[in-house]
Amino acid sequence: MRDRINQLPIDTDVSYRNRLSILRERKIEDTKDKAGINSFTDGDDYGAIAPPKDYHFKPLPNHKNGSFYGYEGWSQNFFKLMSEHPIAIDPCDAFACRWMNCMSWMRRDSGTNKFNPDMSYEHLKPIQQKYGIVPGIGADAHFGGDYTIGLQLGFGGLMDKLVEYRYKNPGNDDFYDAEILTVMGVQAWIRNACKEIEKDILIETHPELKENLKQMLACNEYLIEGAPRTLREACQWICWFNMASREYNRDGAGCQLDETLRPYYEKDKENGILTDDEARYYIACLLLNDPHYYQLGGLSPEGKDMVSPFSYLILEAADWLDSSCNLTVRVHDSMDMNFLHKSVDYLFKRKNGWPRFSGDKALSEGFMKKGYPVELARQRVAVGCHWMSLPGWEYTLNDCVKVNCTKVFTVAFEEMMEGDGEKSTEELWKLYEKHMAIAVKATADGIFFHLDNQYKNEPELMLNLISHGPVEKGMDMSHGGAEYYNMCIDGTGIATVSDSFAALQQRVEVEKKLTFEKVYEVIKNNYEGAEGEYIRMMLHASARYGGGNTLGDKWAVRISDSFTAQVNAMDEMRPPVKFIPGWFSWSNTIQLGKVCCATPNGRKDGEPINHGANPHPGFRKDGALTAMTNAICSIQCGYGNTCPVQLELDPGMARGEENVQKICDYILTLFRKGGTLLNINIINAEQILAADKNPELFPDLVVRVTGFMAYFCLLTPEFRKLVVDRILVA
Amino acid sequence: MGILTTIQRFSLHDGPGIRSTVFFKGCNMRCAWCHNPETLSLEPQVLYYQLKCVGCGACAAVCPAHKVVNGKMVYDRSLCADNGKCAEVCFSGALETCGKEYAVQEIIDEVIQDKDYYETSGGGVTLSGGEVLLQAPFAKDVLHALKESGISTAIESNLAVDFSVLEPLLPDLDLVMCDLKIWDEESHKKWTGVSNKKVIENIEKLGETGIPLIVRTPLIPGATATEENISAIAQFVSQLPNMKTYELLNFNPLGGSKYQALAEDNPFASAKPFADAQLAVFRAAAEKFCGKVSVN
Repeated sequence: MRDRINQLPIDTDVSYRNRLSILRERKIEDTKDKAGINSFTDGDDYGAIAPPKDYHFKPLPNHKNGSFYGYEGWSQNFFKLMSEHPIAIDPCDAFACRWMNCMSWMRRDSGTNKFNPDMSYEHLKPIQQKYGIVPGIGADAHFGGDYTIGLQLGFGGLMDKLVEYRYKNPGNDDFYDAEILTVMGVQAWIRNACKEIEKDILIETHPELKENLKQMLACNEYLIEGAPRTLREACQWICWFNMASREYNRDGAGCQLDETLRPYYEKDKENGILTDDEARYYIACLLLNDPHYYQLGGLSPEGKDMVSPFSYLILEAADWLDSSCNLTVRVHDSMDMNFLHKSVDYLFKRKNGWPRFSGDKALSEGFMKKGYPVELARQRVAVGCHWMSLPGWEYTLNDCVKVNCTKVFTVAFEEMMEGDGEKSTEELWKLYEKHMAIAVKATADGIFFHLDNQYKNEPELMLNLISHGPVEKGMDMSHGGAEYYNMCIDGTGIATVSDSFAALQQRVEVEKKLTFEKVYEVIKNNYEGAEGEYIRMMLHASARYGGGNTLGDKWAVRISDSFTAQVNAMDEMRPPVKFIPGWFSWSNTIQLGKVCCATPNGRKDGEPINHGANPHPGFRKDGALTAMTNAICSIQCGYGNTCPVQLELDPGMARGEENVQKICDYILTLFRKGGTLLNINIINAEQILAADKNPELFPDLVVRVTGFMAYFCLLTPEFRKLVVDRILVA
Repeated sequence: MGILTTIQRFSLHDGPGIRSTVFFKGCNMRCAWCHNPETLSLEPQVLYYQLKCVGCGACAAVCPAHKVVNGKMVYDRSLCADNGKCAEVCFSGALETCGKEYAVQEIIDEVIQDKDYYETSGGGVTLSGGEVLLQAPFAKDVLHALKESGISTAIESNLAVDFSVLEPLLPDLDLVMCDLKIWDEESHKKWTGVSNKKVIENIEKLGETGIPLIVRTPLIPGATATEENISAIAQFVSQLPNMKTYELLNFNPLGGSKYQALAEDNPFASAKPFADAQLAVFRAAAEKFCGKVSVN
């Protein structure tokens, strides 16, 4: 943590734009400071900074294994963490403090069992391991809160609400006591920040920065209790909630930012107390504080385009900041097309991976198929890596639960080859479906275990505060507090599995160049030897997923349809809990691949599976985006969760006067064809190779790793390879 | 049937909107800077990408042009029958046959997959090459089938043929893109091997048809990229009634690896694309006479 007080000569230009330039340079310094700290490696940028070297938080255990669990364990440690938290103040910043620690990491780092050992799920583990399931048991956050609850009440109002419902709901004191302590913790942090700002005001000599600190102090003294009244107060309140929620359990879900803040902007403008430059500065500082997942535009519940002048202003603020900004533009046919054009312009101008794009039509219509009305579906926004959430209404475990379909395939293939029965892709398909049904059921069983027990392990004390239900009912979001339970089950490895089926069909059944026995033999030997390598190349060169009406594309549709039906069937298990399928690996491509033996698509033992819903790199000689996009649109599960498209584009693609419009047209078509989410990196091969060689020379290079944004220099070589390989092949 | 080198989908530089480009094999010009040298011959050719060769020896078993010498593959092109047998057994991507016969329906099946993108963007399918008019009857059938499928059409041609060859295609064409590389006839002959007389005549005749026309000049260092040449062409095209745009195309250096794969010399191996400042000078030279200039 660096001292930023009184560092600038008093004649320094501190116009809003210049302050952001200074903050951007300081962020690069902060990023360098984070290099080598495990918690910040291979993760989102987060906006966090490295803690002071002499700062060490010691958690208070409430279990004999040395860890902490449940309402009491989490609330007491959170209060202690907040009360002792180092205070980082930058006089160039509009807002106080930065976050630097996370209670979830403390447990992981302590080496103790992450889930409360008093509640065992040993009985589920053998089947989870057999199919490579990432069960999500004990996973936290990964659903969205409704910021408007907090903005309307402030921390004081939230406290009053807790006290009121504690009285109304006797018998839930452990819940309410924990929540009250949680709010008190955040208030303690703000109070400590105010004391620090008071001291800083005395030290800072630059007159404008001193004045900024005075305003920062007034804003924060008010926010200890009060509900925000101005844009600055609203942004600072969101900063506090975000930082505290990150410190609690790394929650990074954002909100529909333009509509959430627009009323404050318009009121300040009406009152003549805000200029547009000032507003851009506040928004840029909010984005700097923490790149939560924020959405812009889209259809309102009533079906009107929500793009407003303030939406444009947010894009302009992100342009001013020119850093890692996790903005998502909602795309639909009746949107302000100029806004889409401007978004694509910034994507190519800044080359920082923002914004990304989500498809309102397919996402809303899909969610409605689960029985929800259109007004509700339109409020479901992309506030995570690849995932959607109804802010404050829904508990999901999104992105936390994965079925390793490649592992399921290898189990089925082995069973067919070791048995005496028929050897064919149709027989293999029957076995694959049989094992997939077992895997999906086991995944749902794990989720039910989580829903029954998570509150005794790690309750959602921060997100409960801005959700509709937990405070009113005295129940944790994971345990009955939420209005809706739409549990995520993502499939992974769709390209690996469909390419494997396709390669067997093409080379064995159609061309008869190989036999099932020969393929099995070389796979068991991990394609070793000259013959093994030749067969591997032959299988690898088969008609793959993403090629355009290929065998691989046809298998992928079949695999996705079957998976979708099997996940949806779990709705019958324990209504009203529902399950929503998707295809997304996150960066688990490496780990999920490590537990899978070689596969008939030419993939060797332990190599990564494909990324998300994307084909394997090299899927088609011309790499046609449209062919890849058509393939991904065709395998959408279609129930409101995403199967994203991940693109790596060369900066030269937007060269030429009409090409930005062509990219806009590509995006519009993608979403008209059923696409759900689009992540784009703009980077060329030379730059990424140079950065891979010497990452420290590129401290401001931001890449979208999967759904999340990261500084390239904070990625391990394994993760860097993931990104580099994708870009080189593209 | 027609012979093609490839079908490129999501093409952003071959006409308006998002397009698919169908590359015909065979060309009647021999432009010194050609970045698609594999499209010049009308016959199939084997391309050999040495860096992708893993030395498995499968090609040597089916073709005498390939031998293993001291543990390394050696390809003697003089023994190659260009029958593609070696490429059929090569799965590393080192050997490829460039030039494949396509039926009209095969082309339609491929390009129709992107029809939605064409419609959103005002794009379509461009027949390019090589020189598309060397296979004019087949091109006519393809264009007709595209129109029947509701897909907008264009050709990219050097127009160095008799107008009677082009004429039958016109009813199914929404756009003609043609190169006028060099205004001076002698210089045109020197750099492309043919006169520009027919090119200019055909452009004038196309002006009478009403079919939208885009005229393009590739900016080749030392050959086409002079203010004098660009001004002369701009002056000519500005008088055409159906001229949509006069496009200046920056030098494309991407053909290098193809020359290596064909074991041929690339005379423009060291040339580089022009920087923005120089492009602005060329644009100004064109805009002196023509109001519809674009630089790509």
